[in-house]
Amino acid sequence: MFMNQNNIILETHGLRKEFGGLVAVDDVSVQIERGSTHSIIGPNGAGKTTFFNLLTGKHKPTRGSVIYKGEDITNLPVHRRAHNGIGRSFQITNIFPNLTVLENVRLAVQALEGVGFRFWRQTASYPDYTRRALDILERLGLAAVATKAATVLPHGGKRKLELAILLAAQPELLLLDEPTAGMASEQVPELMKIIEEIGAQGDKTIVMVEHNMNVVMGISDRITVMSSGQVLTEGTPAQIAADKMVQSVYLGELYDLPEA
Amino acid sequence: MMASKLTRTLRDNWLLILIFIGLLVFPHAVGWLTGSSPMGVPRGDRMIMRGESVRWQAVLIELFILSILAMSYNLMFGFTGVVSFGHALFFGVGGYVLGLALEYTQMETGTALVMGILGGVAICGILGLLIGLVSLRLRGVYFAIFTLAIAEMFFIYFGRLSLTRAEDGFSITDLPQWIDPAQNRLNYYYVALILFVLTFLFIRRLMNSPTGAVFKAVRENEDRAQSIGYNTLNYKLLAITLAGMMAAVAGMLQIILNKKVGPEILGITYTVDPLVMTIIGGIGTFTGPIIGTTGLHLLETVLREATITLGPIVIRVTDIWGVLLGGIFILVVMVFPQGVVGTWARWTARSAKSEPPA
Repeated sequence: MFMNQNNIILETHGLRKEFGGLVAVDDVSVQIERGSTHSIIGPNGAGKTTFFNLLTGKHKPTRGSVIYKGEDITNLPVHRRAHNGIGRSFQITNIFPNLTVLENVRLAVQALEGVGFRFWRQTASYPDYTRRALDILERLGLAAVATKAATVLPHGGKRKLELAILLAAQPELLLLDEPTAGMASEQVPELMKIIEEIGAQGDKTIVMVEHNMNVVMGISDRITVMSSGQVLTEGTPAQIAADKMVQSVYLGELYDLPEA
Repeated sequence: MMASKLTRTLRDNWLLILIFIGLLVFPHAVGWLTGSSPMGVPRGDRMIMRGESVRWQAVLIELFILSILAMSYNLMFGFTGVVSFGHALFFGVGGYVLGLALEYTQMETGTALVMGILGGVAICGILGLLIGLVSLRLRGVYFAIFTLAIAEMFFIYFGRLSLTRAEDGFSITDLPQWIDPAQNRLNYYYVALILFVLTFLFIRRLMNSPTGAVFKAVRENEDRAQSIGYNTLNYKLLAITLAGMMAAVAGMLQIILNKKVGPEILGITYTVDPLVMTIIGGIGTFTGPIIGTTGLHLLETVLREATITLGPIVIRVTDIWGVLLGGIFILVVMVFPQGVVGTWARWTARSAKSEPPA
């Protein structure tokens, strides 16, 4: 029991979120194992995004708690969560559009180093940050466009930049909100490979909300299925694919669950 | 190594350095061209401020003051994305504090000047911090309306405060002679010029620092800046505090130039002018606010007194200068949708296919 506790990086206890009379998330208790890639799926309106926002701190829960590395972070503001090693990406591309690609990533490196209030030093006097930012851009294949304004990148490039910003902050726990949303299908495998590589590093935990079942089934260690604001079931990709209840929830939806 | 750094600085800034030298010699050049003394005309043991040189010094001093105000507004509005409609508050309070120190205290003139400047800058900094703390959780237009309300509140309050002679305001009579623009305008010209240059250099240095990078990040995408770990509220507070302190300096320069303190320095004009001048010159650029101010201020100065004669038709521009200025604004905004500097940068970037403007 105690050993198991130590291996849990994030857990929620009876999380509930109401918007007016609407209960979007209802009594959700989940445990995320350290180093795992954990996906949250479910039909539209299942409360995935609300649940996700409770983890990131964008929303405060009506009831329940979020425990990260044994510490209650339920009421911690967004920027404090980032300092504790929780990074997130966004469903809608969320970058700094009129800054260069390099500046986008360097800001995250700088945030990690906590030099934001050094107003008398010049950015140029931190060549190390620039190099680290360039390393990450190199890894994600964005080094060639480093000096371009982020806004001119194609959609796939912006999604990659989003990940680059996330990685630059060196989070232990990555919360990914539909990383492949709106991507052309031929670009998905590349991004999937990047996420898989991050997950394979072992020290990084990934919690991901994703619609693309190929991605979910391909790279998850565990999957939580939500429906009507509650946890329907949880298991390995194989278990979820075989689950009759999950299939019935998805009936009428366009997803086709591959045979595992 | 040192030498190469110096030459690089000179090469990168040659135009600015040239303009600075031009401004340094400007009073003497005007004096030489018009045959007037930059010191004014002597009468007895005093100098009378008469002649083209001293007249143009006043125009440029006002230009420096409005530029400092516009640059400070741009730091908040253009670089950090905080839209305030209450910038006149800092300009006015800075002016009032210095005026009160000079005229309403028993301190010796020089001491009163120093204390008034320090006190005014400090008070405006604290005021900015307080307003920010109370209201920066509001975003966008709600924050703007809040600041407008605060500024108008001060405008009305000082307009009725009998201590400072309400709407009439009070005159500044007790001023150290070396800085008095009615006697040693040339000295005052250089004081204003130096403060103008320092403001420009400070903002440029700040915006090239890690802090400046976060300011821009807040402007571009506040949610994202938070999610990578920045407490964006603190950065917005810093921006509004610094902008408030700089605007206070501008307000102090203004009351010394006019030798008068009245509620008009808290009026909406000193919010709208920097806003318009920044937009016209280029939001979020270093030189934009200065170019916008120069255009606006020089046009205003020229148009106010101009008369156009077209054969038998004589147009006295004095009567319609506001309309003309408005027309010119509309034209400028249509030709330069990102402001003069912003649009120019976009053009050159497109032709060079290089980095976008910072």
